[in-house]
Amino acid sequence: MNKPLRNPEIVWRVENRRQTEVLKALETGEEIEDSGTVILLQSGMMHQLNLIGGLIWQQCDGQQSLTDIAGELAKEFTVEQSEVESDVAEFVADLTERGWLINE
Amino acid sequence: MSEVTEMFSAPLTFNWTLSYRCNFTCDHCYSRDEECPELAFDDLKRIVDVLVEQQVPFINFGGGEPLIRHDLYEIAEYASKAGLNVSMNTNGWLLDEAAAQRLKDVGFKSVGISIDSSDPALHDSFRNMPGSYERALRGLDALHKVGLKSTMSSVISRINYQAFRELLDLARDHGVGQVYLHNFKCSGRGFKNREDLDLTPEEWQAFYLEALAVKHQTDDLKISFDDPVIASLPEYQEKTMVKGSSCGKLSLHLRPNGDITPCGFIPVVVGNILNDDFETIWFDSPVLKAMRNKEATGKCSGCAAFDDCQGGCTARAFATTGDFNQPDPHCWK
Ligand code: SF4
Repeated sequence: MNKPLRNPEIVWRVENRRQTEVLKALETGEEIEDSGTVILLQSGMMHQLNLIGGLIWQQCDGQQSLTDIAGELAKEFTVEQSEVESDVAEFVADLTERGWLINE
Repeated sequence: MSEVTEMFSAPLTFNWTLSYRCNFTCDHCYSRDEECPELAFDDLKRIVDVLVEQQVPFINFGGGEPLIRHDLYEIAEYASKAGLNVSMNTNGWLLDEAAAQRLKDVGFKSVGISIDSSDPALHDSFRNMPGSYERALRGLDALHKVGLKSTMSSVISRINYQAFRELLDLARDHGVGQVYLHNFKCSGRGFKNREDLDLTPEEWQAFYLEALAVKHQTDDLKISFDDPVIASLPEYQEKTMVKGSSCGKLSLHLRPNGDITPCGFIPVVVGNILNDDFETIWFDSPVLKAMRNKEATGKCSGCAAFDDCQGGCTARAFATTGDFNQPDPHCWK
């Protein structure tokens, strides 16, 4: 079973204020720049994940399968799980290729 | 909100001076004449708790000499167990193999040792401490032996700018993976000895051009600079997280009593981590805001490099003119 785990070499944090702002904007339908809500730091470089990517990242604890993660995401945005499954798989595959995620 | 606080809800690094006490009296030291009451261990723990709550990922102990405080190990362990990435800079005098092992055991991620010259006599006389060169190398070897990542820090000044390649070789010989070629800051004793130690702007330009060329040809060693004025050179291609000085943007400094300053070289207190609300300091401090939103002044106005360089090192401009916005005195334009 594919249970993605964050590479422990990467230091990261949720930018809480920013995440709250983006979630609020999403609710009110306001336009907001889709910039990072999670920052990743690796050998002096910073990368940012947007809201959806950041939410997926936070769940990559090596305990949850892709299906579990898609389920959580679907709940968060009240959509069908099937609608987000391929996005989750694609995102995880991309980050795995970069070495940011490890598949357990 | 400035661009910085829009992105970062807290700094990424706290440079933490636990004590200004030191067993050395180096010629370029910024803090030798500083005096400041130190906190008890429980207060240090409370500081770590604040840093954890604010999600600050890195702390770097400096000083003074961090190993002078015997509870350094305990506080580092407390911090690393709480998830912080802990590192420090030391002169290496007290760093034998047992100390290196202990640092590793309490969770240090890396330890930097200051070496100013590959000529033992020059290093010792600059540091006013006979035998300090040997001890610094012993420290690097001890770190290597116990498997703790080491870095080497060299403050570039008149005594070493023409011999920086030898410093890089020294690092290679002692298992160091990263060398910091620090810019000279003109604070404390560095300010008093400025005439003797600082380079002219033209010499700085020549030094950086040479050092960048070496960096581009080097792949077995990471060479890092922390001088924002370097961004005015087209040869500098690094993507940095913020433009200009990172102080007050990516990092803050803690004095031994918990006072926060933008960096160790800017003696302006913006609040106290134990007594004041951290978010108010981070988001609202007029000093931090001024540092994040510098205004091009003097020759910086109209300079094509201002977007990248932001007037260079704010600490140096402030130390020499009392104004954050003045051009960095090292600027060669
Ligand atoms: S004039 Fe000012 S902005 Fe231009 S390179 Fe010099 S310090 Fe930087």
